[in-house]
Amino acid sequence: MRPFSLGFLMDVFPILLPFLSATLAVVVGTIFFGSVAGALLAWAKAGNHKVLKRVAQGYTYIIRCTPPIVLLFIVFYGLPKFCLEVFDTNINDYDKLFFVIISFTLLFAAPISEVMRSAYEAINKGQYEAAVSIGLSPWQAFFHIVLPQAVVVALPNFGNSVVSLMKDGSLAYTIGYIDLIGKGQLIVSMNYGAYAIETYLALAILYLIMTLGLEKVFLWAERRFSQHKQIA
Amino acid sequence: MEINYQFLVDTFYLVLAAVPTTLKLTIIPLLLASPFALAIALIRLDQQKGFLKILVSAYVTFVRGTPIVLQILMVYSLLPSFLNLLAKAWSLNINVFDFDPIFYAYIVFTINIIALLSEVLRSALGSLEKGQLEAAECVGLNKIQAYLHILLPQAMVVAMPNICNLTVNLIKGTSLAFLMTVKDMTAVAKISASYGYNYIEAYVDVFVGYIIICSIVQILFHYAEAHIGRYRLSK
Repeated sequence: MRPFSLGFLMDVFPILLPFLSATLAVVVGTIFFGSVAGALLAWAKAGNHKVLKRVAQGYTYIIRCTPPIVLLFIVFYGLPKFCLEVFDTNINDYDKLFFVIISFTLLFAAPISEVMRSAYEAINKGQYEAAVSIGLSPWQAFFHIVLPQAVVVALPNFGNSVVSLMKDGSLAYTIGYIDLIGKGQLIVSMNYGAYAIETYLALAILYLIMTLGLEKVFLWAERRFSQHKQIA
Repeated sequence: MEINYQFLVDTFYLVLAAVPTTLKLTIIPLLLASPFALAIALIRLDQQKGFLKILVSAYVTFVRGTPIVLQILMVYSLLPSFLNLLAKAWSLNINVFDFDPIFYAYIVFTINIIALLSEVLRSALGSLEKGQLEAAECVGLNKIQAYLHILLPQAMVVAMPNICNLTVNLIKGTSLAFLMTVKDMTAVAKISASYGYNYIEAYVDVFVGYIIICSIVQILFHYAEAHIGRYRLSK
């Protein structure tokens, strides 16, 4: 076994860094679409419509039991076939990012809907009633009174979900999407398996920086938004 | 969309046959990890600062901060050659490259679960009142007895839902064992799909398989929680 090469570890960072944007693209895209889908699910769960409620709960349950990689493969292999048959459109040569974001949106929506629902239910009903009674419309009461308080409650769990999304996102390389891990694998195989440990260590350091950084950002945001916190 | 139903059914049986591998990959790391996780939780709960505490904290941070794929790639690319080196140094006549890859899978998942389980146990033990330990020592139990009979049963009540989550996540995580050429449910489906490019049918089978397993596990944990609930502190 060859000794550990610190020089290679240093050299590999500049090669990997340009692919950070590919990793972040998955995270940002998924947070955006996943939050919208999650909000719809949370709305269905908190609402009074029985069928919608059941569907949303069932969906959350199924996703909770599904390994990310299986869903990723189902979307990657199944969606093009499905679109070809049903809509007669060929999406086989769409960018891989498209499939990755769809898979992770499906995955992310389920836990995030639970975060949103529990945050919404944590806010005292009296807040909404008080807001409506002083003449705000239901929408105004929701956006100006309930939502700012619910966001504070939701932030820690939202942060956790984003961190685990970022880690799950690393699976995208298995369908050939070139993100940080994908590039790392390419570097390893270009060196015929040599320098594997240096490359993986560099990736680990990058991921650690990202996850620890995200945790710090969410802690900061929690403190920043705590001014909206309900008193007692 | 054409679905090959015959293939769908045949592969489902193949996937079912691989369920024991997935269960082994879940249960063995959980059992192996428990004592280490408890030790790490106790070290991190200890008031004194020390080198050991920094070391285990760094380990937990590392595992929680990196994707499990990366941990798998690291162990699977490094450990075999490292073991080979050891075997040569001690002039043992074993070829480590002949080991069943499931051996490495156990190691990766154990390393991963030790860290996650220690966090669960740490928060559960931390939620107990300090008086519990003091009272137990007052009536003459030693530390080990106090933990075994008084603190751990109460901590388990708090920890159970999180351990259930952890187990479900581990079951889902074992789907990555195919990266180490272990033939678990996902790998079996992937292999049989590649003959005729029947990927959708194969993955739908796996999808259903995981939902069934996770449902059973969650039901079992539900009963375990009810059973262990008798240790809940009545207020």
